[in-house]
Amino acid sequence: MLPFSQNSHYKLRFLVLVLWVSHLVDSKSGFELDESLTYLWPLPSEFTSGNQTLTVDPTLSFSALGKGGNSKILVEGFERYKKIIFKHVSGISLFDKSRGIRSVYDISELRFIVNSDSEELQLGVDESYTLFVAKKDGKSIVGEATIEANTVYGALRGLETFSQLCAFDYETKSVQIYKAPWYIKDKPRFAFRGLMLDTSRHYLPIDVIKQIIESMSYAKLNVLHWHIIDEESFPLEVPSYPKLWNAAYTKWERYTIEDASEIVSFAKMRGIHIMAEVDVPGHAESWGAGYPDLWPSSTCREPLDVSKSFTFDLISGILSEMRKIFPFELFHLGGDEVHTDCWTSTPHIKQWLNDQNMTAKDAYQYFVLKAQEIAISKNWTPVNWEETFNSFPSKLNPRTIVHNWLGPGVCPKAVAKGFRCIFSNQGAWYLDHLDVPWNEVYSAEPLEGINNVSEQNLVLGGEVCMWGETADTSDVQQTIWPRAAAAAERLWSKREAVSARNITLTILPRLHYFRCLLNRRGVQAAPVTNKYARQPPIGAGSCYEQ
Amino acid sequence: MLHLSEKPHFIYTCLMLLAWVSQYVSLSTGFELNHSLTYIWPLPHELTSGNETLTVNPTLSLYLIGKGGNFKILREGFRRYKRIIFKQSSGVSIFKNLRRIRSIYDISQIRIIVNSDSDELKLGVDESYTLFITKTGGKSIAWEAIIEVNTVYGALRGLETFSQLCAYDYTTKSVQLSKAPWYIKDKPRFAYRGLLLDTSRHYFPVDVIKSIIDSMSYAKLNVLHWHIIDKQSFPLEIPKYPKLWNGAYTKWERYTVEDASKIVRFAKTRGIHVMAEVDVPGHAESWGVGYPDLWPSNSCREPLDVTKNFTFDLISGIFSDIRKIFPFELFHLGGDEVNIGCWNNTPHVKQWLKDNNMKPKDAYKYFVLKAQEIAISKNWTPVNWEETFNAFAGSLNPQTVVHNWLGPGVCPKAVAKGFNCIFSNSGVWYLDHLDVPWEQIYNAEPLEGIDNESKQKLVLGGEVCMWSETVDTSNVQQTIWPRAAAAAERLWSTKSALSAGNDTVLHRLHYFRCLLQRRGVQAAPVTNYYARQPPAGPDSCYWQ
Repeated sequence: MLPFSQNSHYKLRFLVLVLWVSHLVDSKSGFELDESLTYLWPLPSEFTSGNQTLTVDPTLSFSALGKGGNSKILVEGFERYKKIIFKHVSGISLFDKSRGIRSVYDISELRFIVNSDSEELQLGVDESYTLFVAKKDGKSIVGEATIEANTVYGALRGLETFSQLCAFDYETKSVQIYKAPWYIKDKPRFAFRGLMLDTSRHYLPIDVIKQIIESMSYAKLNVLHWHIIDEESFPLEVPSYPKLWNAAYTKWERYTIEDASEIVSFAKMRGIHIMAEVDVPGHAESWGAGYPDLWPSSTCREPLDVSKSFTFDLISGILSEMRKIFPFELFHLGGDEVHTDCWTSTPHIKQWLNDQNMTAKDAYQYFVLKAQEIAISKNWTPVNWEETFNSFPSKLNPRTIVHNWLGPGVCPKAVAKGFRCIFSNQGAWYLDHLDVPWNEVYSAEPLEGINNVSEQNLVLGGEVCMWGETADTSDVQQTIWPRAAAAAERLWSKREAVSARNITLTILPRLHYFRCLLNRRGVQAAPVTNKYARQPPIGAGSCYEQ
Repeated sequence: MLHLSEKPHFIYTCLMLLAWVSQYVSLSTGFELNHSLTYIWPLPHELTSGNETLTVNPTLSLYLIGKGGNFKILREGFRRYKRIIFKQSSGVSIFKNLRRIRSIYDISQIRIIVNSDSDELKLGVDESYTLFITKTGGKSIAWEAIIEVNTVYGALRGLETFSQLCAYDYTTKSVQLSKAPWYIKDKPRFAYRGLLLDTSRHYFPVDVIKSIIDSMSYAKLNVLHWHIIDKQSFPLEIPKYPKLWNGAYTKWERYTVEDASKIVRFAKTRGIHVMAEVDVPGHAESWGVGYPDLWPSNSCREPLDVTKNFTFDLISGIFSDIRKIFPFELFHLGGDEVNIGCWNNTPHVKQWLKDNNMKPKDAYKYFVLKAQEIAISKNWTPVNWEETFNAFAGSLNPQTVVHNWLGPGVCPKAVAKGFNCIFSNSGVWYLDHLDVPWEQIYNAEPLEGIDNESKQKLVLGGEVCMWSETVDTSNVQQTIWPRAAAAAERLWSTKSALSAGNDTVLHRLHYFRCLLQRRGVQAAPVTNYYARQPPAGPDSCYWQ
């Protein structure tokens, strides 16, 4: 197992590896799990386990009770997880005698009890579940493996947990569940556990967005915040304003409304909301490629022209079209980083400001509130980046959800004023900040500085943000994972569980394990402990230690 | 479309983009196809095209004609390509009134004529195909798509080309095929177009290997050289010697024989050979984790102990087991970088050398030739890294395929002596060399220095090598692509096509990189200074 290389630039790594290997070379496989830890990510709210090892039948069957048992979401979810769990158990057998063929398995059925038949996916939908796995014994009336949930979405979370209990055992060539019997009672700590994706700085093909959604479900993240449009490009089709997507980078880097709908329904099948964003009035320069009237002038192109009713007609048109695609009740209106210079330096707007007796700052408020009204009229709850709250909190619609990003301490102020809040402090939860290591992501606490329980309840959750300036199809998953998983556990698991003293001993081995689980499922999760995110591994080695 | 950012490190990018945007801002989109170029990668052998744009029916059907052999590979391939081609024509329709529904399509069927009923996949299997997109006879306005081939593998290559002719048109929301009529007569320049994957320095899950195989088929690469084992880890199950895979990194970073068979079968349905490698006698330290007798001594662990029968019994056992998994006629025996220090300073080996009147160098030859014999006895053609040829060319079995890597000029010597050769000059075709830009890869020529035509025929082809010291699941595809595509075109297309100016090639390579991305492959920006660097700033895939 000693690594060796003739290349001189590997020499240093070589020495480091030699030191490492030399202390492992006696154990047959270099890495052993610390059995006192629970290798489920994120950690369930309550659980007990035992010390039995159970085998799982590769023809695991599905049974369902309750009103929600026939749901397509549940049936397809079961099939999806079955493929994940039984990846290695194939029908091929070239070496019969070497196979440990078992005709009797401990677990041959997964039973679901789903109480509600509603498939509505709204913020705060019940994601709780109970998972029970035990060897069948004559006296028990409970089945071998049972997931009970109020909604299909809770059942999906339970399925994910079940899949993480299962591991392929290479000696017996069967799927096993260790530390049974398991009794798990689980629910998320926050209703909003988000990942933001930016498809304006780089276009991401539909397949890639789907892969990302799929990977989110492994960490029980449940909101994809789709930052569709920005100043660089406008990839989305808007049928009533067909020239808007002329500002896509190219004629192939676009999303049709059918593409967007497909993404929404793909996400729904995994219990994931899509929160769309249309960021106004800043970050909107690309809009004017198709409709130059939206620019203050052809030389000064941002923010959107506040003086024209066309601007608001068009926003209303966009939102009407998008409302048909995005059923989620939250809609993000942006409102960040608005530089009003173009308003004050363009004669016709300057005149308009004068006529209305407004300063540029007033016009910013006017614009944001008008956009909020439009969104609310479409039956959406508006979300705004924190600048809107920082500038005119008392004018914001009271339903507004404040989306923190600039730094710590904003959610405490927002909830004190009665607003709901989403935590995305860029110092910790901006994934494009490559110098933030996993432990800083993990330790960021959305409720920091909020002690009053009723105010705590106003924090919907948090979101890690994957801005796309240097992330395209080639490196986006690698930049998201494994650090997004650190935030995912913070957002799902109990605060006591994530506040352990020595996270290097208690959390890091579990995160290594989860990173390798992502790799096994085909997700390009990067090494956990590199100094910078998405750096290549520094040398040969096991996934479980890098 | 103007790019603007407050971050200082984007300002340079911003300036460059401004310069670029300003020249395009009056167009509706930034990157335009150059209609004099053919956006098929790799470029077909012969083609003619026209100037009509056709629509392709999303319910495209397959009509197979032929000897009625095993068409399963072809039917599966057709379904796979149909999913690729019609990714974007989904059934969802919430804006019915706005959709331009077309009930009549120009192409609703693809006809494939297969002459042979054999689906045997051997080196040199006929991969040629003819693809016509043409008007049916008479006055009819109907069009037809026909692929005519000798084998199902040729048909798969033709389907790949057909899929590259199709593009989703966002204006009409239909799949279109432009520049029809097409007449394409295509075949590979080399029979062996490989990619090496090293699963010892880092383990790659089966799903990841499958996605790499899938991506190879998009560039018409056809050999996955699976460098399974090396000194760092031994991930493969060997039923006869069950302790060998104790040398895996962990108990989960392993391949069962079923996993390996699954990979071989998956590759076969894409017309891709899997050439396994068991590298002896160097690069084999991990073997001794399960069987320490294979080490010269506990403190000096490589090369494998040349003195013991057990060593060769075990090699023979491994080969017997994996012969059942790997049907490809070529088998790689490694033989590179053998550092004989341990043989010289381990007393029992030293004694044995003396008894047999051998120098360590002789023992190296003895080992390699013995391994060759074992491989040949299992009906395999041995492939060896070039050191074996460099050290004792005259003693190598004449069937040996010499695998170049150390530098240029080896294949000319090997073919001069009558050996087959595979070109992998590490200065250009080692993908772990991140400082080699795409054009150097593209311009590396396997036949360089070989003028005699009969000698040229001994060059089977070439292979890009993805050594994985700094590559794992997180970045392997990004390191392979797009540079492997440059080698793929070198290996497939005619020499005259390859000598086109780099500007037009770059334009086409950008396009192919974006095709890979649309298909979910993590192909990195083409023109970054180092391979697998992130994009320098916001921009179109077609431009980075």
